[in-house]
Amino acid sequence: MTKMLKTLALTLLATLIVILPACRTKKTPAPVVAPTPVVTTTQPPPVAATPVTQPPDFVQPEAKVTEEALPSDIDELNRVAQQRGYIQDAFFAFDESTLTPDAQTALTNSANWLKKNPQYNLLIEGHCDERGTEQYNLALGDRRANTAKEYLATLGIDASRIRTVSYGEERPFDPGHDEAAWAKNRRDHLVLIGK
Amino acid sequence: MKKTTPALSVLLVLLASAAHAQTQIQTTIDQSKAQQVARIAIPFPGLPAGLDPQKINALFFAPLTRDIAESGVFAIAPLPPNVPPTPDLLKRISAAYLLDLRFSTTPAGGGGAEIDYLVDTRLVDSTGAEALPSKRYRAGEAALTKTAHTIASYIVRSINGKPGIFTTQIAFASNRDGFWEIYLMDWDGGNQRRITFHRGLSILPSWSPDDERMVYTSFSRNASEMYVINRRGGGRIKIHTGLALNTSARFSPVGHDIAFVGSVNGNPDIYVIRDDATNLRRLTTSYSIESTPEWSPNGRQICFTSGRSGTPQIYVMDAEGTNIRRISFEGQWNDDARWAPDGERLAYTSRVNGVFQIRITNVVTGESHILAGEGSNEQPSWSPDGKWIAFQSNRSGKWQIYRMRADGTDLMPLTSQGENKEPDWSKKVE
Repeated sequence: MTKMLKTLALTLLATLIVILPACRTKKTPAPVVAPTPVVTTTQPPPVAATPVTQPPDFVQPEAKVTEEALPSDIDELNRVAQQRGYIQDAFFAFDESTLTPDAQTALTNSANWLKKNPQYNLLIEGHCDERGTEQYNLALGDRRANTAKEYLATLGIDASRIRTVSYGEERPFDPGHDEAAWAKNRRDHLVLIGK
Repeated sequence: MKKTTPALSVLLVLLASAAHAQTQIQTTIDQSKAQQVARIAIPFPGLPAGLDPQKINALFFAPLTRDIAESGVFAIAPLPPNVPPTPDLLKRISAAYLLDLRFSTTPAGGGGAEIDYLVDTRLVDSTGAEALPSKRYRAGEAALTKTAHTIASYIVRSINGKPGIFTTQIAFASNRDGFWEIYLMDWDGGNQRRITFHRGLSILPSWSPDDERMVYTSFSRNASEMYVINRRGGGRIKIHTGLALNTSARFSPVGHDIAFVGSVNGNPDIYVIRDDATNLRRLTTSYSIESTPEWSPNGRQICFTSGRSGTPQIYVMDAEGTNIRRISFEGQWNDDARWAPDGERLAYTSRVNGVFQIRITNVVTGESHILAGEGSNEQPSWSPDGKWIAFQSNRSGKWQIYRMRADGTDLMPLTSQGENKEPDWSKKVE
């Protein structure tokens, strides 16, 4: 019995909490409207309004959305494709050629775009940072590029669309000599090429 | 404080000085220096009127005296100025030899105003007797420095009985003209000249055994390919291998084989192909990365780099690809192995405390030591007499090529324009 009363009381209280603010809002006075400034200058005589007559066959123009064409210049295309993330480079750990989860995501995104754009082939450039030796890094870059090629093939990209080249540490993206630069330079760089 | 008896103190001092002496010996010993060094006086050559002494000095006398001073066979005996080098004077300055050089000129032929230089060369001993058959050399101005190296080689070879290396060449890659191209220079860094014009990325030159050709790698149309070119730049041919990479190409010291790194589906291995692009053979079959082959001087073995242990290390195999054994065990990254002409020592690049240093390892005895220097020091190449090593270092902030004796002494920069790397010393000695 006591429990039932308690529940009833709580329900009433809850109802009041919900209703009260609503009531208060209603009671809020209307905002004070600023007084209209008194115009002292002479008003020009009102111009007679000409009635707007619509032509009987007027049709609203359709709101148009066009898909922007990809640049025809291949260098510009690559710049745009990288900037918009259509194709994404894959990055590696030092002296490693296995794909990190991030690298796999980058390649998966690239594969999705490549599938929808079969008019392009792909060049994968394998790159290394300067901390290794040049000759071994040329071989390491070859393996990095081919690791990405194989991965893209498993995602359904025809391997015949993909070429690879290793630049080892010959063409760094960042000329710096610290870990930030090295991390940028250990990569598979994806380049769109014509068929 | 611990008490030390006087006798023990003396012993400790003796031990310390002995250890010090030993260190001294180890850092200065060099076979060429340990030989008897003969003092030689070289007066500035007599010139006919009209020849510019400064030009003759720069193009001829300076390189000649440098060669002889660095030969390890002679030490230059300084001469007082404007005193005729009589036997008495030679005796006073303890000179065992006098190199007497005289210049004259003759029309070069061809009807132009060009002249040839004639250089009469006499080596006499302290009694005034001829120590060698005298010779006359003839050369145009462009070959005057080569004449100096040739004379130095003749004298050192004749007195020492061992071949000279002063006319040898060092091939290398440089970006001084905007692109990486292949260049040549004399052994002392003189006469630097470009021989490839790919306007792309051309790297890793290697001399043929007769020094007439080079093989190298050049990138074009998004692929790296192997080319052979004549020493003077002509006759370029592409060696089509059908493989990817085509890097680290090395001419065999015997025959016409080229060892290189080829790759199929991302598996770089050591391959050999003939210089007419036939008879391709695969020497390694491991799934690991293999790179950087180099023939032993007799052509029967090949050293290379492999990642099969988890890090790049040096291995040696028979030239057929059999009998693979590991050579390097120190450090987490070793590469660029080059066989010394004695067939026993390997020089290679070894990572020590985060930077690369040149390491010398004797494959017979297993003895191994580092030739430490500032910065990273990579890609050693032996002189054909095994006394010098050219290498690349970034100690100046840019990659440049240096030369040092095989014991690490007498360091000398050879390049300064742009960046320069991958020295490969020519093979022949005189």
